[in-house]
Amino acid sequence: MTRPHPTHTHTHPHHGDHQHGKPLIRFEHASFLYPHGPALEDITLEIADGEFLGVIGPNGSGKTTMLRAILGLMPPSQGSLRIFDCACQELRCHHRAMIGYVPQKRSVDPYFPITVHEAVMMGRAGAIGLWRRAGRRDREIARHALEDVGMADYDGHPLGALSGGQQQRVFIARALAQHPQILLLDEPTTGIDTTTQHTVLELIQRLHEDLHLTVVLVSHDINLIAPLAERLALLKTRLYAVGPAKDILRKDILSQVYGPQILTTDQGHVIVADHHHS
Amino acid sequence: MTDFLTLGFLQRAIAAAALTGGLCSAIGVFVVLRGLAFIGAGTAHAAFAGVALAYLIGAPPMPLAIVFGLGTAWVTGLLEEQGRMKLDVSIGIFYTATMALAILFIGLMKSYNAEVYGYLFGSILSVTSEELQLTGVLAVLVVGLLGFFSKEFFFLAFDQEMAEASGVPARRFFFLLLTLIALTIVVSLKIVGAILVFALLLIPPATAYQLTSSLHRMMLYAVTIGVLVSIAGVLLSFQFDLPAGPAIVLLATGVFFLAVALSPKRAPKPALP
Repeated sequence: MTRPHPTHTHTHPHHGDHQHGKPLIRFEHASFLYPHGPALEDITLEIADGEFLGVIGPNGSGKTTMLRAILGLMPPSQGSLRIFDCACQELRCHHRAMIGYVPQKRSVDPYFPITVHEAVMMGRAGAIGLWRRAGRRDREIARHALEDVGMADYDGHPLGALSGGQQQRVFIARALAQHPQILLLDEPTTGIDTTTQHTVLELIQRLHEDLHLTVVLVSHDINLIAPLAERLALLKTRLYAVGPAKDILRKDILSQVYGPQILTTDQGHVIVADHHHS
Repeated sequence: MTDFLTLGFLQRAIAAAALTGGLCSAIGVFVVLRGLAFIGAGTAHAAFAGVALAYLIGAPPMPLAIVFGLGTAWVTGLLEEQGRMKLDVSIGIFYTATMALAILFIGLMKSYNAEVYGYLFGSILSVTSEELQLTGVLAVLVVGLLGFFSKEFFFLAFDQEMAEASGVPARRFFFLLLTLIALTIVVSLKIVGAILVFALLLIPPATAYQLTSSLHRMMLYAVTIGVLVSIAGVLLSFQFDLPAGPAIVLLATGVFFLAVALSPKRAPKPALP
């Protein structure tokens, strides 16, 4: 069961730095390779400071690759990718520390000896830098991040004892403890119950609005992501379309990626024959 | 009753046991958490092959043990990173190949050399002051680096890719960790032997793993258990005229099973609110 969380988020050092509309992430004809073939091809996309971008597409369409590329973990084989006006190959640790990342949920070993506090403090490691040790301020930042996600009461609990939804909130808190400018989330609602899915998405929306975070959220669940994102990017190795949900969630556009089985209802819901992409 | 504690060789043996027990347990926490147990085994046997080669060609054993140990740790680390082959398979190949090399080098020696076997089974009761000093210097270096970069090493142990993505140079720390594991093994080899060093890397951290849900407490418990069982093993071996290595390993194993039986992690968990 989840606990109520505060309605206001804590102050953020980048709060006043935002210049809405200025591109923070810029793909220019960028292609990315797996060892066995192309992962993404000829992507041209700008993501503006303070934007909420939803990335949709079927399984294996390159959504996670896009996030890994933004983290500087996969350089383009062709074209360019610039983040914070810096080529992704030249991203330094201090740049990466400004990008919060919530990876696709992996099962946490329930017996791994780590407390919630220790997991969130790991988010401070990049921001603190190599030659400093965590101090009182870092512990306060970690506590505030836990308050922001409504998990402050679980500070000393073993991470493995929490439910899937609670662990996901802790991982969001870990990303927030970095004081990021960009928050990347990979399928943050997978593997958690429907009520908690909505709680997690409301939390992300609130963090985006209160902290003016640039959010890139990857999801296979079009209906869950569409109401939140300012723009949707439709991927299947290539970028098929990008724009507001009302312009993307059309049968003629979605069927290019999902095939002719796609249906759109009068309420704007999308139904894909493959249940994984409903 | 405790007059025997004034014996110089026993004092050195107790100090060596405490140092190697603490040192191996401290680095062993990351070996256990990061799933590098077989790298520890492979490195220990590769270092032994280096020692055997040194005795065969009449060279000092330590430099060749370091070359063989570091080489094995780094190559297996690279193989793990590239994911070209399952780690247990590649380590299994290295493990058997380096043991075969060691046996080959020993077989090529013209006469029986008891000193070489000392590196396999350890000779803690005959440790010299120089060996003790070398172990002390290494213990300060390894524990100092682990303590100074603890936030990086703990992050690496929990999730290396996330650490890299969060701005920690995780790949460099992974290879630093492999280097520290190899150095710890090489320096502990003469004192506790290739077999016991692997046990000290694994058993005290695995025991601590049973007892706590905190990374920092796991480190504290592992080092405490490693130091205490090593000292107790040496005292038991002296008192009852037992070989020291097996006494330490069997004592540590007994404590491990006790911890498994009493582990709070085995108790049914109350549902969190």
